Amino acid sequence: MFRKFTSLTLTLLLLVSFFFTGNGVKAAGGLTLFTPYSGLSVTPGETLTYDVTVINSNSSINNVTFDVEGLPEGWDYTISASGNDIRQLSIRENSEENIRFEINVPLEVEKADYSFQLIADGSGNAYAELPFLTTVSEEGTFQSELSVEQANLEGHADATFSYSATLRNRTADQQTYALSAGAQEGWGVQFKADGNNVTSVTIEPGATKDISIDLTPPNNIQADTYSIPIQASTNSTSAEANLEAVITGSYGVSISTPEGNLSTDITAGKERTVDLVVENTGTATLNDISISASTPPNWNAEFDSNSLATLEAGDSKMVKATLTAPDDAIAGDYVTTFTAETAEASSDANFRVSVETSTWWGIIGIVIILIVIGGLYYIFRTYGRR
Amino acid sequence: MRQAIKNPFKSISLLRREAVHEKTDQMYAFRAMVRKEFTDYITSWRIIILLVLILLTCVGSLYTAITTIQDAIDQNENASQIAKDSFLFLKLFTISDGTLPSFITFVSFLGPLLGVALGFDAINSERNKGTLSRLMSQPIPRDYVLNAKFTAALLLNTVLFFSLGLLVMSLGILILGIPPTGEEFLRIFCFLVLCIAYIAFWLNLGILFSVRFKQPATSALAAIAIWLFFNLFYNMIVQLLAKTILNPANITSTADAVSKQGLVLNLMRLSPNYLFTESTNTLLSPTVRTLGPLTVEQSAGAIAGPLPLSQSLILIWPQLTGLIASTFICFAISYLLFMRQEIRSK
Repeated sequence: MFRKFTSLTLTLLLLVSFFFTGNGVKAAGGLTLFTPYSGLSVTPGETLTYDVTVINSNSSINNVTFDVEGLPEGWDYTISASGNDIRQLSIRENSEENIRFEINVPLEVEKADYSFQLIADGSGNAYAELPFLTTVSEEGTFQSELSVEQANLEGHADATFSYSATLRNRTADQQTYALSAGAQEGWGVQFKADGNNVTSVTIEPGATKDISIDLTPPNNIQADTYSIPIQASTNSTSAEANLEAVITGSYGVSISTPEGNLSTDITAGKERTVDLVVENTGTATLNDISISASTPPNWNAEFDSNSLATLEAGDSKMVKATLTAPDDAIAGDYVTTFTAETAEASSDANFRVSVETSTWWGIIGIVIILIVIGGLYYIFRTYGRR
Repeated sequence: MRQAIKNPFKSISLLRREAVHEKTDQMYAFRAMVRKEFTDYITSWRIIILLVLILLTCVGSLYTAITTIQDAIDQNENASQIAKDSFLFLKLFTISDGTLPSFITFVSFLGPLLGVALGFDAINSERNKGTLSRLMSQPIPRDYVLNAKFTAALLLNTVLFFSLGLLVMSLGILILGIPPTGEEFLRIFCFLVLCIAYIAFWLNLGILFSVRFKQPATSALAAIAIWLFFNLFYNMIVQLLAKTILNPANITSTADAVSKQGLVLNLMRLSPNYLFTESTNTLLSPTVRTLGPLTVEQSAGAIAGPLPLSQSLILIWPQLTGLIASTFICFAISYLLFMRQEIRSK
């Protein structure tokens, strides 16, 4: 009897296995499990979802419990039907039910193929197994990632360098990252997320956040390549990236006098030499600085050198300007503007030139009065006291 | 020296002491004469009336100036800063609200009259009264009479104008509450000196006529005629000439226009009135930078601002020289005439 039963079961099993080629494996007692996609590829942290059909080919109602075998450590699963977690399933005779089998793949997992079985244990000797093969397509890291799209930017010293970075939370927990930058003194660093200025961001597990970083170089920074490390860290995890700012230098020139005194006096018809200082206030070398003056009409301005070939950053050079006022310049103040100019920058110095008229006529006037007084004295001597 | 030759035994120290004695005696005599003349002036009705007239007109003009300035100050908040920037204190002398002429107008009008009044009968009235020959019988040099009269009149003039000027300043400080800056004070001082020099010219002209004409009425009329001529008619005559000179049909170039304008200006400057007006304007309005015609080229690039006092003085130096020199020349002529005149001819 037992043998007969066994042979019947085997025949049935064989028949079923022929019927469900490759899927309804290992079934007995009229209970079969079926899913169309039993081999899925997955990345760490993802959830695998299988729709499994439980088939009861018996002529009686079958109560089925489920179990999973061979699931790697750290993985967990849920079984649900019609949105409810289920422990037991009851299937009518010659009927089938759909269940949802979900596997949560952990983040920290090696890249490999994993296999496990879903086991359905029904009443009596009804029993079914469904093997799954899952390929984890990449190495799970269980850490945070900070990646910068374009880590190298170039600009002037007065430009703002905007980098966009992506912060990815690949841990199992929600993380609040503190954002910091190891910039040298004088640099301005501003993190932005979703258009707001931020110093920390909170990211759900497995989620990403776009962060933009605005770097402002300090004033008068030398032309060079600067590397600024940025870091997003929590107490358990951290991610780092390196930003590179290539500064091409700033251009600035100023013209003044050694004492900063921008006024002088001049006698009409005479010359006056003014010492000017041309200074490179930028951080890049200036080439071909031309020096010119805008004077009132008929005035003349000459320089001992009309142009400077090169001027290193921070250097200054003296230029002598000789102003000549015309004879008929009237007394009072005039404006003369000295200009130092390059292709990149220019600077003005407005001079207040006080014209004094020649005292020559004053002396002649005194001489005339002296002659008259002398004449008077002569008359006194000649005609007085007689 | 002659005495020394006559008495070769006289010691030189004695000689020198005598000379010193003689000199101090003469100085004393001169001082006494000046004092006497000064007393005569300030006790004569003619001068008192003129002084009162000048005082009244000046106080009147000062009053209008002060009310004008006060109105302007009340309208503005930071008045003291504006006052410093615009030489407000000098405006006391130049500004007017139209009802009364300004201080400088009065001075340029009445000053010559005062000068003439002080001088026109200096010598001839003494001669007519017969006191000149009596004076000459005293042991004093002859020119002391003329010199003393001139000195006394000039002294009166100086005292009057300095007291007037200081009065205006002190009233200005009292009523406006704004003290003058150092430069403003110096400018006012120079202006007062200029007034004295200007009136000294008319004084000398009066003295000259008093020496030349025997009748005081003649000399007074002659002096007033000249004053009227320069005050009223000379201006008209020059303008009449200027119409011909500056006729646009005759002007060919800019340089021509400038030189012709200069010619008209120089004609005007023959009048002492004009010299005085130019000088006072320059002294009391520091923003005046030139007195001649000004080309666009000269004014381009100029910053509007006040001139320092030294530059203003250099600007009016020719005018000052002309005024002072003509004063001296008038005095020299009257001196020469007086010294050569026959005194006892009456």
